[in-house]
Amino acid sequence: MKNLIIAICSLGFLGSPANAQERPSNWPEPIKESYTGIILFDRFELARNNQEENIAVWDMVGWYGGDIYRVYVKSEGENKQDDGEPTNLERAEVLASKLIAPYWEIQGGVGTRGTVSSDSKMENYVVVSLYGLAPYQFEIDSSVALNEEGDVSFAVEAEYEIRVTQTSYFQPRLSLSASLSESERFNRPSGLNSLRLGLRYRYEFSREFAPYVGVYWNRMLGNSADKTRLEGNSASETGIVVGARFWF
Amino acid sequence: MSISNQFNRRKFLQRAAGTTGSLALLSHMPVAWARPEGYTNSNDKISTLGDNFGDSIVNGDVIDLHIRKEVKAIAGGTSNPITINGSSPGPLVRLKEGQRVIINVTNHLPSSSSIHWHGIILPFNMDGVPGVAFPGIAPNSTFKYEFDVKQNGTYWYHSHSGLQEQSGHLGPIIIDPADGDIGADREHVILLSDWTFEDPHTVFRNLKVAEGYYNYQQRTIDDTIEDIKRQGLINTIKERSMWSKMRMSPRDILDVTGSTYTYLMNGRDASTNWTALYKPNESVRLRLINGSAMTYFDFRIPGLEMTVVAADGQPVKPIVVDEIRIAVAETYDVIIKPKSNSSYTLYAESMDRSGYVRGTLATELGKEANIPELRKMPERGMAAMGMGDMTSKDSMSNMSSLGGMNMGADSSMKGMQNNANTNMEMPHAGHNSGTQKSMAPEILPIDKISIKHDEDGHGVGATMIAKNPTSRLDEPGLGLEDVDHRVLFYSDLIGAMEWPDSRKPTQTVELHLTGNMERYMWSFDGVKFSEVDGPVHFKYGERIRLILVNDSMMDHPIHLHGMWMELENGNYPPPRKHTISLKPSEKVSLLISADAPGNWAFHCHLLYHMDAGMFRVVSVS
Repeated sequence: MKNLIIAICSLGFLGSPANAQERPSNWPEPIKESYTGIILFDRFELARNNQEENIAVWDMVGWYGGDIYRVYVKSEGENKQDDGEPTNLERAEVLASKLIAPYWEIQGGVGTRGTVSSDSKMENYVVVSLYGLAPYQFEIDSSVALNEEGDVSFAVEAEYEIRVTQTSYFQPRLSLSASLSESERFNRPSGLNSLRLGLRYRYEFSREFAPYVGVYWNRMLGNSADKTRLEGNSASETGIVVGARFWF
Repeated sequence: MSISNQFNRRKFLQRAAGTTGSLALLSHMPVAWARPEGYTNSNDKISTLGDNFGDSIVNGDVIDLHIRKEVKAIAGGTSNPITINGSSPGPLVRLKEGQRVIINVTNHLPSSSSIHWHGIILPFNMDGVPGVAFPGIAPNSTFKYEFDVKQNGTYWYHSHSGLQEQSGHLGPIIIDPADGDIGADREHVILLSDWTFEDPHTVFRNLKVAEGYYNYQQRTIDDTIEDIKRQGLINTIKERSMWSKMRMSPRDILDVTGSTYTYLMNGRDASTNWTALYKPNESVRLRLINGSAMTYFDFRIPGLEMTVVAADGQPVKPIVVDEIRIAVAETYDVIIKPKSNSSYTLYAESMDRSGYVRGTLATELGKEANIPELRKMPERGMAAMGMGDMTSKDSMSNMSSLGGMNMGADSSMKGMQNNANTNMEMPHAGHNSGTQKSMAPEILPIDKISIKHDEDGHGVGATMIAKNPTSRLDEPGLGLEDVDHRVLFYSDLIGAMEWPDSRKPTQTVELHLTGNMERYMWSFDGVKFSEVDGPVHFKYGERIRLILVNDSMMDHPIHLHGMWMELENGNYPPPRKHTISLKPSEKVSLLISADAPGNWAFHCHLLYHMDAGMFRVVSVS
């Protein structure tokens, strides 16, 4: 082996300078492309709203890949405790992602949402997202979805971090959803659908694990609000949350 | 290869025995290169007090090195560093100019390994970079390095395979000049490194998936409140919005910090207090080597001035300073002359002030001196973005240097060159304060050279381009602008002799240092190594001018294998270096004689930047 290595090297060196540029095929790459990934639960929390209901909420994102191309999984939903209703899946998506600008990824894939029960009608859709960091350090996930029936809906989530100490943060958060067309089947009127504002204070025990407390205010908008009121419900909801942000 | 002990070590042993009797019992242990009494001119052979770190010196015409992973006490704990001949850092390889050396390196690791001789001029197939110079050293096999030693000075060696260097796979090289004179009464090697108990691959992943993972010195609300008090609300809003609009932090100084690193001096942490002995009135040569994976160090010895006599192993005209910023992979030789019996702290502070390591210089063992406090975390000014501003101190100096340049001093250039030719000691004049520039404004070649960005702004791999990159050779560097003592500037360095090739450059190569901190992408011209088509070509025999432009917000130590880079800093002869550090938004010009046929690595010497793709092959043909 040793002799072989020396022989190969000697050949390389004895060859003309032009040959020296070519790397023998059995040599490794000096620097390898690296692939990695993460599963991040940005929100994993228990909320209590002003109707004294307890709600379990999760909001996760996972990715794997290189610097340019990645595969994403996003999942978000909630389950009201003790209401006998199944879990409400707000989204479960699988997307392919490409870095198109230093801070921005374009993502495309498929998703499903709805009430997770045996007799439910899940809404399947294709989705395109713009995902990244906007100027002034806003983390943005904005997406357009098209479902099987041709309904188009929009959603945008924005987060911002204010560092209080090296390991604690105030984090305002905004999410807004809207629909281009009315979807009777999925109970979604056209126009702006809902706005949710949240503020949380999180404390990092480590970069990987950070419990938090927070408050939120959720309001139905436009036709959605009218519809909700007609059904005899309040169009707005406030609550407090206790949870943790963690990743591995 | 190994060394017999003789000489007048009795004196030291007696002294040592008086203070720590047990040390004498250890004198049969392997020879120590970091032994307290150092190395002196008068004794050809080396003595030792011995110690439990197993440091050793290897020399001679045939040297055997063995790479292993072993359980060792390190950085105040126990871990499994990569060792060379049983120690980490490895043994001192002590060579002599003019000799032909054979170094048999045997790899006992389960994965491929290598040793690169950093800064040594040799045939490319002996350079030790897997995939560029050779295939690497497979597990349980031996590679025979063989080359003529054509230089002298202070260098080092390390693995060029993956992230092995972070695991302690490194060691010092000293090449004595043909006449054997070390240029002082005594010498000590001071090898600085950074150690983490984390798996280096975990470190790399943390950098990739969680930007700022190791930075626990970020700006907080408190800093903003302080700024408002200091400079008013409007200026604070302006400044903050500028940074946040750019999506950057002025406190990205080092990617990996004291939050995971323990800084080591000759393999010992600060509490171990590695001690270098001296006798009053001796001249002592310190061979400073920054063998860190990621850490720039600021080195000083409070109470002692240092005379820099070599940079990157190559002699420079003596310059008296009090502090030296040593970029990763650089080496500096300094002469100190402690007069009394005092003890002094050898103090190396990380550039981001997240930690330090210290040792002690004393006339006997068991002493220590006052340990300075870590200075305040510096913050980058807008100068780092290649635009002056008025809000931050750091950038004021850049503003003025910009002004000086624009006011263009063709006339002052003439004056300067006169100075450089007639009075080589010129850079010392008025160089007693960090805020005072050591040199009159001048036109460097680089100032006249316009640079070009790729039309696409270097693509997705670059979050910024330096709008107006300038020469920053006459700046002390981040955090050292306001110190009240002399700091070494690159513009101070003057080669101690004329180099053999003084031709004008005939080929120009321009490369930009680019990065995307958010995703931890690092590259040249926005293109990672894995995306590059082919090597950078230097035409064999040509004189190359290499223009480097730092389009990123970080300092980068750029290392070219196999050939010297002569830094065009306005001095003649120019200093020549193997590693050149660029400040953010800086451009530099380097002259290279493409006299070494073959393929050579060219890369950022921050280990994780290199591994992320800030690496190119230079082909000389």
